[in-house]
Amino acid sequence: MRPSDRSYLDSHEWALLDGDVVTVGITDFAIEQLGELVYLDLPSTGDSVSRGDSFGEVESVKAVSDINSPIDGEIVEINADLADNLENLQNDPFAAGWLIKVKVAGADALDGLKDAGAYEEIVAAES
Amino acid sequence: MANAPTETLLRTPLYEAHQALGAKLVPFAGWEMPLDYGSILNESRAVRTGAGVFDVSHMARFWFRGASTAAELDHALGGCMTDQPIGKARYTMILQEDGGILDDLITYRTGEDAYFMVVNAANRVRDRDALVARIHQTSFEDITEDGGGILALQGPEALRILRELTGDAELAPGFLDLAWPDSPYGELFIARTGYTGEHGYEIFVTAEQAVPVWNRLLELGVAPVGLGARDVLRLEAALPLYGHEIHEEITPFDAGLRFAIKGWKTREFIGGEALRAKGDTERELVGFTAEKRVPREGYPVLAGGEEVGVVCSGVYSATLDKPIATAYVRKGVEGPFSVSARGKEFAVERVDLPFVPHRSRD
Repeated sequence: MRPSDRSYLDSHEWALLDGDVVTVGITDFAIEQLGELVYLDLPSTGDSVSRGDSFGEVESVKAVSDINSPIDGEIVEINADLADNLENLQNDPFAAGWLIKVKVAGADALDGLKDAGAYEEIVAAES
Repeated sequence: MANAPTETLLRTPLYEAHQALGAKLVPFAGWEMPLDYGSILNESRAVRTGAGVFDVSHMARFWFRGASTAAELDHALGGCMTDQPIGKARYTMILQEDGGILDDLITYRTGEDAYFMVVNAANRVRDRDALVARIHQTSFEDITEDGGGILALQGPEALRILRELTGDAELAPGFLDLAWPDSPYGELFIARTGYTGEHGYEIFVTAEQAVPVWNRLLELGVAPVGLGARDVLRLEAALPLYGHEIHEEITPFDAGLRFAIKGWKTREFIGGEALRAKGDTERELVGFTAEKRVPREGYPVLAGGEEVGVVCSGVYSATLDKPIATAYVRKGVEGPFSVSARGKEFAVERVDLPFVPHRSRD
Protein backbone atom coordinates (compact mmCIF):
# COMPACT_ATOMS: atom_id res chain seq x y z
CA MET A 1 0.00 0.00 0.00
CA ARG A 2 1.26 3.47 -0.91
CA PRO A 3 1.04 6.33 1.61
CA SER A 4 -2.61 7.02 2.44
CA ASP A 5 -1.99 10.67 3.43
CA ARG A 6 -1.97 11.80 -0.22
CA SER A 7 -3.85 11.62 -3.51
CA TYR A 8 -2.85 10.09 -6.83
CA LEU A 9 -3.17 10.72 -10.54
CA ASP A 10 -3.64 7.76 -12.92
CA SER A 11 -0.36 8.64 -14.64
CA HIS A 12 1.51 7.86 -11.38
CA GLU A 13 2.00 11.24 -9.74
CA TRP A 14 1.15 11.94 -6.10
CA ALA A 15 -0.12 15.13 -4.42
CA LEU A 16 0.12 15.93 -0.69
CA LEU A 17 -1.86 18.89 0.67
CA ASP A 18 -0.51 21.00 3.55
CA GLY A 19 -2.41 24.27 4.11
CA ASP A 20 -2.69 25.84 0.68
CA VAL A 21 0.45 24.20 -0.72
CA VAL A 22 0.52 20.85 -2.49
CA THR A 23 3.73 18.89 -2.76
CA VAL A 24 3.94 16.85 -5.98
CA GLY A 25 6.01 13.80 -6.82
CA ILE A 26 5.94 10.56 -8.80
CA THR A 27 5.24 7.15 -7.32
CA ASP A 28 7.51 4.18 -6.69
CA PHE A 29 5.56 2.33 -9.40
CA ALA A 30 6.52 5.01 -11.95
CA ILE A 31 10.14 4.68 -10.86
CA GLU A 32 10.01 0.90 -11.10
CA GLN A 33 8.59 1.08 -14.63
CA LEU A 34 11.23 3.58 -15.73
CA GLY A 35 14.20 1.76 -14.25
CA GLU A 36 17.52 3.53 -13.71
CA LEU A 37 17.10 7.31 -13.92
CA VAL A 38 19.52 9.51 -15.85
CA TYR A 39 17.85 12.91 -16.19
CA LEU A 40 15.18 15.12 -14.68
CA ASP A 41 13.77 18.35 -16.08
CA LEU A 42 11.69 20.56 -13.78
CA PRO A 43 10.06 23.95 -14.45
CA SER A 44 10.81 27.16 -12.55
CA THR A 45 9.28 28.76 -9.51
CA GLY A 46 6.45 31.05 -10.59
CA ASP A 47 5.32 28.84 -13.48
CA SER A 48 1.69 27.72 -13.56
CA VAL A 49 0.64 24.09 -13.74
CA SER A 50 -2.69 22.54 -14.67
CA ARG A 51 -4.11 19.16 -13.82
CA GLY A 52 -3.23 16.53 -16.40
CA ASP A 53 -0.69 18.74 -18.20
CA SER A 54 2.99 17.94 -18.37
CA PHE A 55 5.24 20.14 -16.24
CA GLY A 56 8.46 18.18 -16.52
CA GLU A 57 10.24 15.12 -17.85
CA VAL A 58 12.04 12.24 -16.26
CA GLU A 59 14.36 10.07 -18.30
CA SER A 60 15.75 6.64 -17.56
CA VAL A 61 18.15 4.32 -19.32
CA LYS A 62 15.08 2.90 -21.07
CA ALA A 63 12.68 5.76 -21.75
CA VAL A 64 11.57 9.38 -21.42
CA SER A 65 8.34 10.13 -19.59
CA ASP A 66 6.27 13.26 -19.06
CA ILE A 67 5.46 14.24 -15.50
CA ASN A 68 1.87 15.47 -15.26
CA SER A 69 0.49 17.82 -12.68
CA PRO A 70 -2.26 16.42 -10.40
CA ILE A 71 -3.44 19.96 -9.53
CA ASP A 72 -3.90 23.52 -10.82
CA GLY A 73 -1.82 26.30 -9.30
CA GLU A 74 1.44 28.21 -9.22
CA ILE A 75 4.82 26.69 -8.40
CA VAL A 76 6.27 28.20 -5.21
CA GLU A 77 9.25 25.88 -4.78
CA ILE A 78 11.12 23.23 -6.74
CA ASN A 79 13.39 20.50 -5.42
CA ALA A 80 16.39 22.18 -7.02
CA ASP A 81 19.03 19.67 -5.88
CA LEU A 82 17.16 16.67 -7.15
CA ALA A 83 18.37 16.72 -10.78
CA ASP A 84 21.94 16.31 -9.51
CA ASN A 85 20.96 13.76 -6.87
CA LEU A 86 18.70 11.42 -8.80
CA GLU A 87 19.29 8.65 -6.27
CA ASN A 88 16.90 10.53 -3.97
CA LEU A 89 14.18 10.22 -6.58
CA GLN A 90 15.15 6.65 -7.44
CA ASN A 91 15.12 5.40 -3.84
CA ASP A 92 12.76 7.70 -1.98
CA PRO A 93 10.10 9.04 -4.39
CA PHE A 94 7.52 9.72 -1.63
CA ALA A 95 9.79 11.92 0.53
CA ALA A 96 13.30 13.09 -0.48
CA GLY A 97 12.34 12.70 -4.14
CA TRP A 98 9.52 15.28 -4.11
CA LEU A 99 9.51 17.46 -7.24
CA ILE A 100 7.58 20.72 -6.84
CA LYS A 101 5.39 22.62 -4.35
CA VAL A 102 2.35 24.32 -5.78
CA LYS A 103 0.14 26.99 -4.24
CA VAL A 104 -3.48 26.02 -4.82
CA ALA A 105 -6.76 27.95 -4.54
CA GLY A 106 -8.36 25.83 -1.85
CA ALA A 107 -8.67 22.51 -0.06
CA ASP A 108 -10.78 21.15 -2.91
CA ALA A 109 -7.68 21.19 -5.14
CA LEU A 110 -7.36 17.43 -4.74
CA ASP A 111 -10.99 16.61 -5.55
CA GLY A 112 -11.27 14.02 -8.28
CA LEU A 113 -7.88 12.44 -7.63
CA LYS A 114 -7.60 8.84 -6.47
CA ASP A 115 -6.94 7.77 -2.91
CA ALA A 116 -4.25 5.18 -2.14
CA GLY A 117 -6.73 2.30 -2.38
CA ALA A 118 -8.06 3.33 -5.79
CA TYR A 119 -4.53 4.00 -7.04
CA GLU A 120 -3.56 0.49 -5.98
CA GLU A 121 -6.08 -0.83 -8.51
CA ILE A 122 -4.46 1.22 -11.29
CA VAL A 123 -1.09 -0.25 -10.38
CA ALA A 124 -2.48 -3.77 -10.24
CA ALA A 125 -4.00 -3.36 -13.68
CA GLU A 126 -0.71 -2.14 -15.16
CA SER A 127 1.58 -4.60 -13.39
CA MET B 1 11.31 -3.04 -30.16
CA ALA B 2 8.42 -4.91 -31.71
CA ASN B 3 6.11 -5.66 -28.85
CA ALA B 4 3.02 -7.82 -29.27
CA PRO B 5 1.34 -7.96 -25.88
CA THR B 6 -1.77 -9.97 -26.64
CA GLU B 7 -0.69 -12.89 -28.81
CA THR B 8 0.72 -16.04 -27.29
CA LEU B 9 4.38 -15.49 -26.64
CA LEU B 10 7.06 -18.09 -27.25
CA ARG B 11 9.35 -18.99 -24.37
CA THR B 12 12.97 -20.04 -24.45
CA PRO B 13 14.19 -23.15 -22.58
CA LEU B 14 15.47 -20.74 -19.90
CA TYR B 15 12.16 -19.04 -19.17
CA GLU B 16 11.85 -20.54 -15.68
CA ALA B 17 15.50 -19.77 -14.97
CA HIS B 18 14.86 -16.10 -15.79
CA GLN B 19 11.78 -16.04 -13.58
CA ALA B 20 13.74 -17.56 -10.70
CA LEU B 21 16.36 -14.81 -11.09
CA GLY B 22 13.67 -12.13 -10.83
CA ALA B 23 14.09 -10.98 -14.43
CA LYS B 24 11.80 -8.33 -15.87
CA LEU B 25 10.24 -10.34 -18.69
CA VAL B 26 8.87 -8.42 -21.65
CA PRO B 27 7.38 -9.28 -25.05
CA PHE B 28 10.03 -9.03 -27.72
CA ALA B 29 9.54 -10.10 -31.34
CA GLY B 30 6.94 -12.67 -30.30
CA TRP B 31 8.97 -14.05 -27.39
CA GLU B 32 8.85 -13.43 -23.67
CA MET B 33 12.39 -12.30 -22.95
CA PRO B 34 14.39 -10.92 -20.01
CA LEU B 35 14.84 -7.14 -20.35
CA ASP B 36 17.00 -7.02 -17.24
CA TYR B 37 17.68 -8.78 -13.96
CA GLY B 38 17.55 -5.54 -11.95
CA SER B 39 20.06 -3.16 -13.51
CA ILE B 40 20.79 -2.57 -17.18
CA LEU B 41 23.85 -0.51 -16.25
CA ASN B 42 25.37 -3.06 -13.86
CA GLU B 43 24.76 -5.87 -16.33
CA SER B 44 26.51 -3.84 -19.05
CA ARG B 45 29.49 -3.25 -16.76
CA ALA B 46 29.71 -6.95 -15.89
CA VAL B 47 30.26 -7.78 -19.56
CA ARG B 48 32.96 -5.10 -19.97
CA THR B 49 34.85 -6.09 -16.83
CA GLY B 50 34.26 -9.83 -16.36
CA ALA B 51 31.79 -12.04 -18.17
CA GLY B 52 28.07 -12.07 -18.82
CA VAL B 53 25.69 -14.51 -20.44
CA PHE B 54 22.67 -13.60 -22.56
CA ASP B 55 19.83 -15.91 -23.48
CA VAL B 56 19.34 -15.10 -27.15
CA SER B 57 17.37 -18.21 -27.97
CA HIS B 58 14.71 -16.06 -29.61
CA MET B 59 17.00 -15.47 -32.55
CA ALA B 60 16.01 -17.50 -35.59
CA ARG B 61 18.18 -20.49 -36.49
CA PHE B 62 18.20 -21.89 -40.03
CA TRP B 63 20.09 -24.74 -41.73
CA PHE B 64 20.92 -24.85 -45.42
CA ARG B 65 22.24 -28.10 -46.85
CA GLY B 66 23.05 -29.66 -50.20
CA ALA B 67 25.59 -29.54 -52.99
CA SER B 68 24.24 -26.20 -54.34
CA THR B 69 24.22 -24.39 -50.98
CA ALA B 70 27.34 -22.26 -51.35
CA ALA B 71 26.47 -21.09 -54.86
CA GLU B 72 22.81 -20.44 -54.09
CA LEU B 73 23.49 -18.55 -50.86
CA ASP B 74 26.17 -16.57 -52.66
CA HIS B 75 23.43 -15.28 -54.95
CA ALA B 76 20.81 -14.92 -52.18
CA LEU B 77 22.98 -12.93 -49.74
CA GLY B 78 25.09 -9.80 -49.96
CA GLY B 79 28.27 -11.50 -48.81
CA CYS B 80 30.44 -13.91 -50.73
CA MET B 81 29.52 -17.38 -49.49
CA THR B 82 31.56 -19.59 -51.84
CA ASP B 83 34.82 -18.45 -50.28
CA GLN B 84 33.62 -18.70 -46.67
CA PRO B 85 36.04 -21.10 -44.98
CA ILE B 86 34.58 -24.25 -43.45
CA GLY B 87 34.64 -23.83 -39.66
CA LYS B 88 34.25 -20.05 -39.75
CA ALA B 89 31.44 -17.56 -39.11
CA ARG B 90 30.79 -14.58 -41.36
CA TYR B 91 28.65 -11.45 -40.95
CA THR B 92 26.55 -10.47 -43.95
CA MET B 93 23.06 -9.37 -44.98
CA ILE B 94 20.01 -10.09 -47.10
CA LEU B 95 19.44 -7.27 -49.56
CA GLN B 96 16.48 -6.21 -51.62
CA GLU B 97 16.84 -5.90 -55.40
CA ASP B 98 17.28 -2.14 -54.88
CA GLY B 99 20.18 -2.63 -52.47
CA GLY B 100 18.17 -1.83 -49.33
CA ILE B 101 18.84 -4.04 -46.31
CA LEU B 102 16.20 -6.67 -45.43
CA ASP B 103 18.22 -7.99 -42.50
CA ASP B 104 21.71 -8.66 -41.24
CA LEU B 105 22.79 -12.13 -40.17
CA ILE B 106 25.66 -14.49 -39.49
CA THR B 107 26.39 -17.60 -41.52
CA TYR B 108 28.37 -20.46 -40.00
CA ARG B 109 29.86 -22.83 -42.56
CA THR B 110 29.99 -26.20 -40.87
CA GLY B 111 30.91 -28.27 -43.93
CA GLU B 112 31.44 -28.13 -47.68
CA ASP B 113 27.67 -28.24 -48.25
CA ALA B 114 26.24 -27.09 -44.91
CA TYR B 115 25.61 -23.57 -43.61
CA PHE B 116 23.96 -22.66 -40.33
CA MET B 117 22.45 -19.16 -40.14
CA VAL B 118 21.19 -16.90 -37.35
CA VAL B 119 18.89 -13.98 -38.18
CA ASN B 120 16.94 -11.42 -36.14
CA ALA B 121 13.91 -12.81 -34.32
CA ALA B 122 11.68 -10.00 -35.57
CA ASN B 123 12.48 -10.88 -39.18
CA ARG B 124 12.28 -14.65 -38.92
CA VAL B 125 9.26 -15.20 -41.17
CA ARG B 126 10.15 -12.57 -43.72
CA ASP B 127 13.77 -13.74 -43.99
CA ARG B 128 12.64 -17.34 -44.28
CA ASP B 129 10.22 -16.47 -47.09
CA ALA B 130 12.81 -14.39 -48.93
CA LEU B 131 15.55 -17.00 -48.59
CA VAL B 132 13.37 -19.95 -49.53
CA ALA B 133 12.29 -18.06 -52.66
CA ARG B 134 15.93 -17.44 -53.57
CA ILE B 135 17.16 -21.03 -53.25
CA HIS B 136 16.14 -23.91 -55.52
CA GLN B 137 18.21 -27.05 -54.96
CA THR B 138 19.27 -26.29 -51.39
CA SER B 139 17.35 -27.89 -48.51
CA PHE B 140 16.14 -25.47 -45.83
CA GLU B 141 15.24 -26.11 -42.20
CA ASP B 142 14.03 -23.62 -39.57
CA ILE B 143 15.00 -25.06 -36.17
CA THR B 144 14.17 -21.95 -34.09
CA GLU B 145 11.51 -23.78 -32.08
CA ASP B 146 13.37 -27.05 -31.53
CA GLY B 147 13.63 -26.35 -27.80
CA GLY B 148 17.32 -25.48 -27.98
CA GLY B 149 18.78 -22.03 -28.14
CA ILE B 150 21.74 -19.70 -28.04
CA LEU B 151 23.70 -18.60 -24.98
CA ALA B 152 26.04 -15.69 -25.65
CA LEU B 153 29.00 -15.73 -23.26
CA GLN B 154 30.74 -12.36 -23.53
CA GLY B 155 33.47 -10.45 -21.75
CA PRO B 156 37.21 -10.43 -21.05
CA GLU B 157 36.81 -13.53 -18.84
CA ALA B 158 34.90 -15.48 -21.51
CA LEU B 159 37.74 -17.77 -22.59
CA ARG B 160 38.64 -18.73 -19.01
CA ILE B 161 34.97 -19.48 -18.32
CA LEU B 162 34.60 -21.47 -21.53
CA ARG B 163 37.59 -23.62 -20.58
CA GLU B 164 36.11 -24.28 -17.15
CA LEU B 165 32.72 -25.06 -18.66
CA THR B 166 34.13 -27.60 -21.10
CA GLY B 167 36.98 -28.86 -18.92
CA ASP B 168 39.30 -28.26 -21.89
CA ALA B 169 42.15 -26.04 -20.67
CA GLU B 170 43.70 -25.90 -24.14
CA LEU B 171 40.62 -24.64 -25.94
CA ALA B 172 41.55 -21.51 -27.94
CA PRO B 173 39.22 -20.73 -30.85
CA GLY B 174 40.31 -17.83 -33.06
CA PHE B 175 38.07 -14.88 -33.91
CA LEU B 176 35.00 -16.12 -35.86
CA ASP B 177 36.09 -19.77 -35.45
CA LEU B 178 33.55 -22.53 -34.95
CA ALA B 179 34.36 -25.36 -32.54
CA TRP B 180 32.71 -28.49 -31.18
CA PRO B 181 34.41 -29.10 -27.83
CA ASP B 182 33.46 -32.03 -25.61
CA SER B 183 31.96 -31.06 -22.28
CA PRO B 184 30.16 -32.63 -19.30
CA TYR B 185 26.96 -31.71 -21.23
CA GLY B 186 28.00 -33.55 -24.37
CA GLU B 187 29.51 -31.97 -27.44
CA LEU B 188 28.87 -28.21 -27.60
CA PHE B 189 28.60 -26.23 -30.83
CA ILE B 190 30.23 -22.84 -30.29
CA ALA B 191 31.31 -19.87 -32.39
CA ARG B 192 33.61 -17.05 -31.39
CA THR B 193 31.07 -14.37 -32.22
CA GLY B 194 28.98 -11.89 -30.32
CA TYR B 195 27.21 -8.55 -30.22
CA THR B 196 29.09 -6.64 -27.55
CA GLY B 197 32.52 -5.85 -28.99
CA GLU B 198 34.08 -8.05 -26.30
CA HIS B 199 35.90 -11.36 -26.60
CA GLY B 200 33.06 -13.84 -26.56
CA TYR B 201 31.35 -17.01 -27.69
CA GLU B 202 27.91 -18.00 -28.80
CA ILE B 203 26.99 -21.46 -27.58
CA PHE B 204 24.31 -23.22 -29.63
CA VAL B 205 22.72 -25.48 -27.06
CA THR B 206 20.29 -28.34 -27.56
CA ALA B 207 17.07 -28.55 -25.53
CA GLU B 208 18.89 -30.88 -23.09
CA GLN B 209 21.95 -28.65 -22.74
CA ALA B 210 20.27 -25.26 -22.29
CA VAL B 211 19.46 -25.29 -18.57
CA PRO B 212 22.52 -27.17 -17.25
CA VAL B 213 24.93 -25.05 -19.31
CA TRP B 214 23.21 -21.83 -18.18
CA ASN B 215 23.29 -22.93 -14.53
CA ARG B 216 26.95 -23.90 -14.75
CA LEU B 217 27.85 -20.51 -16.24
CA LEU B 218 26.13 -18.74 -13.34
CA GLU B 219 27.95 -21.04 -10.89
CA LEU B 220 31.21 -19.98 -12.51
CA GLY B 221 30.39 -16.36 -11.64
CA VAL B 222 29.04 -15.25 -15.01
CA ALA B 223 26.42 -12.48 -14.69
CA PRO B 224 23.03 -13.03 -16.32
CA VAL B 225 22.50 -10.13 -18.73
CA GLY B 226 19.23 -9.03 -20.33
CA LEU B 227 18.27 -7.52 -23.64
CA GLY B 228 18.44 -3.99 -22.19
CA ALA B 229 22.16 -4.29 -21.55
CA ARG B 230 22.59 -6.09 -24.86
CA ASP B 231 21.34 -2.95 -26.61
CA VAL B 232 23.67 -0.73 -24.57
CA LEU B 233 26.69 -2.93 -25.30
CA ARG B 234 26.03 -3.29 -29.01
CA LEU B 235 25.56 0.46 -29.41
CA GLU B 236 28.75 1.21 -27.46
CA ALA B 237 30.49 -1.08 -29.96
CA ALA B 238 28.55 0.62 -32.83
CA LEU B 239 27.23 -2.74 -34.02
CA PRO B 240 24.14 -2.13 -36.18
CA LEU B 241 20.62 -3.18 -35.23
CA TYR B 242 17.93 -3.90 -37.79
CA GLY B 243 15.18 -1.26 -37.59
CA HIS B 244 17.67 1.34 -36.38
CA GLU B 245 21.00 1.70 -38.21
CA ILE B 246 19.91 -0.66 -40.97
CA HIS B 247 16.59 -1.20 -42.75
CA GLU B 248 15.05 -1.25 -46.21
CA GLU B 249 15.83 2.41 -46.93
CA ILE B 250 19.49 2.01 -46.01
CA THR B 251 22.20 0.40 -48.13
CA PRO B 252 25.31 -1.31 -46.75
CA PHE B 253 27.25 1.73 -48.02
CA ASP B 254 25.12 4.17 -46.00
CA ALA B 255 25.69 2.06 -42.92
CA GLY B 256 29.45 1.80 -43.40
CA LEU B 257 29.14 -1.99 -43.75
CA ARG B 258 30.94 -2.48 -47.06
CA PHE B 259 32.95 -5.31 -45.48
CA ALA B 260 29.75 -7.35 -45.17
CA ILE B 261 29.22 -7.47 -48.95
CA LYS B 262 32.57 -8.85 -49.97
CA GLY B 263 33.13 -8.89 -53.73
CA TRP B 264 30.23 -6.52 -54.42
CA LYS B 265 32.00 -4.94 -57.39
CA THR B 266 32.03 -8.12 -59.45
CA ARG B 267 29.76 -10.77 -57.93
CA GLU B 268 26.24 -11.51 -59.15
CA PHE B 269 23.88 -11.37 -56.16
CA ILE B 270 20.48 -9.93 -55.35
CA GLY B 271 20.94 -6.21 -54.76
CA GLY B 272 24.42 -6.13 -56.31
CA GLU B 273 23.46 -4.43 -59.54
CA ALA B 274 21.61 -1.65 -57.68
CA LEU B 275 24.55 -1.10 -55.34
CA ARG B 276 26.99 -0.80 -58.24
CA ALA B 277 24.66 1.68 -59.97
CA LYS B 278 24.13 3.77 -56.83
CA GLY B 279 27.75 4.33 -56.01
CA ASP B 280 28.52 6.57 -53.09
CA THR B 281 25.92 7.86 -50.68
CA GLU B 282 24.84 11.24 -49.44
CA ARG B 283 24.55 10.41 -45.77
CA GLU B 284 26.79 8.80 -43.24
CA LEU B 285 26.39 7.07 -39.93
CA VAL B 286 27.95 9.14 -37.17
CA GLY B 287 28.30 8.92 -33.39
CA PHE B 288 27.24 11.52 -30.85
CA THR B 289 27.70 11.86 -27.13
CA ALA B 290 25.58 14.13 -24.95
CA GLU B 291 25.89 15.58 -21.47
CA LYS B 292 22.74 14.42 -19.69
CA ARG B 293 19.78 13.67 -21.92
CA VAL B 294 19.78 10.66 -24.21
CA PRO B 295 19.39 11.49 -27.93
CA ARG B 296 16.73 8.92 -28.78
CA GLU B 297 15.57 7.20 -31.95
CA GLY B 298 13.79 9.57 -34.31
CA TYR B 299 15.01 12.84 -32.77
CA PRO B 300 15.99 15.27 -35.56
CA VAL B 301 19.66 16.28 -35.76
CA LEU B 302 20.26 20.00 -36.27
CA ALA B 303 23.26 22.03 -37.44
CA GLY B 304 23.23 25.75 -38.15
CA GLY B 305 19.50 25.89 -37.46
CA GLU B 306 18.79 23.33 -40.17
CA GLU B 307 17.67 19.71 -39.91
CA VAL B 308 20.57 17.61 -41.23
CA GLY B 309 19.80 14.11 -40.01
CA VAL B 310 18.01 11.81 -37.61
CA VAL B 311 18.98 9.71 -34.60
CA CYS B 312 18.96 5.89 -35.14
CA SER B 313 19.64 4.62 -31.61
CA GLY B 314 20.41 6.22 -28.30
CA VAL B 315 21.22 4.76 -24.91
CA TYR B 316 22.91 5.71 -21.69
CA SER B 317 26.38 4.20 -21.94
CA ALA B 318 27.39 2.41 -18.76
CA THR B 319 31.01 2.27 -19.88
CA LEU B 320 31.36 5.98 -20.73
CA ASP B 321 28.83 7.07 -18.09
CA LYS B 322 27.09 9.39 -20.54
CA PRO B 323 24.47 9.25 -23.27
CA ILE B 324 25.55 8.00 -26.70
CA ALA B 325 23.72 7.83 -30.02
CA THR B 326 24.11 6.95 -33.66
CA ALA B 327 22.56 9.10 -36.37
CA TYR B 328 22.43 9.43 -40.12
CA VAL B 329 23.68 12.88 -41.08
CA ARG B 330 24.08 14.51 -44.47
CA LYS B 331 27.67 14.07 -45.61
CA GLY B 332 30.00 17.01 -45.26
CA VAL B 333 27.95 18.87 -42.65
CA GLU B 334 30.17 20.44 -40.01
CA GLY B 335 28.98 20.83 -36.45
CA PRO B 336 28.28 22.00 -33.91
CA PHE B 337 25.32 19.62 -33.77
CA SER B 338 22.27 19.51 -31.57
CA VAL B 339 19.20 17.31 -31.39
CA SER B 340 15.60 18.27 -30.88
CA ALA B 341 14.04 16.25 -28.07
CA ARG B 342 10.28 16.61 -27.89
CA GLY B 343 10.53 20.29 -28.81
CA LYS B 344 13.59 21.05 -26.68
CA GLU B 345 17.02 21.36 -28.22
CA PHE B 346 20.22 20.16 -26.61
CA ALA B 347 23.84 19.98 -27.76
CA VAL B 348 25.54 16.77 -28.87
CA GLU B 349 29.19 16.21 -29.71
CA ARG B 350 30.28 14.22 -32.72
CA VAL B 351 32.72 11.43 -31.89
CA ASP B 352 34.32 8.57 -33.81
CA LEU B 353 32.65 5.16 -33.88
CA PRO B 354 32.78 2.81 -32.09
CA PHE B 355 32.24 4.55 -28.77
CA VAL B 356 34.04 1.72 -26.96
CA PRO B 357 36.94 0.00 -28.79
CA HIS B 358 36.37 -3.58 -29.91
CA ARG B 359 38.25 -6.29 -28.03
CA SER B 360 36.57 -9.19 -29.81
CA ARG B 361 39.83 -10.18 -31.53
CA ASP B 362 41.95 -9.96 -28.35
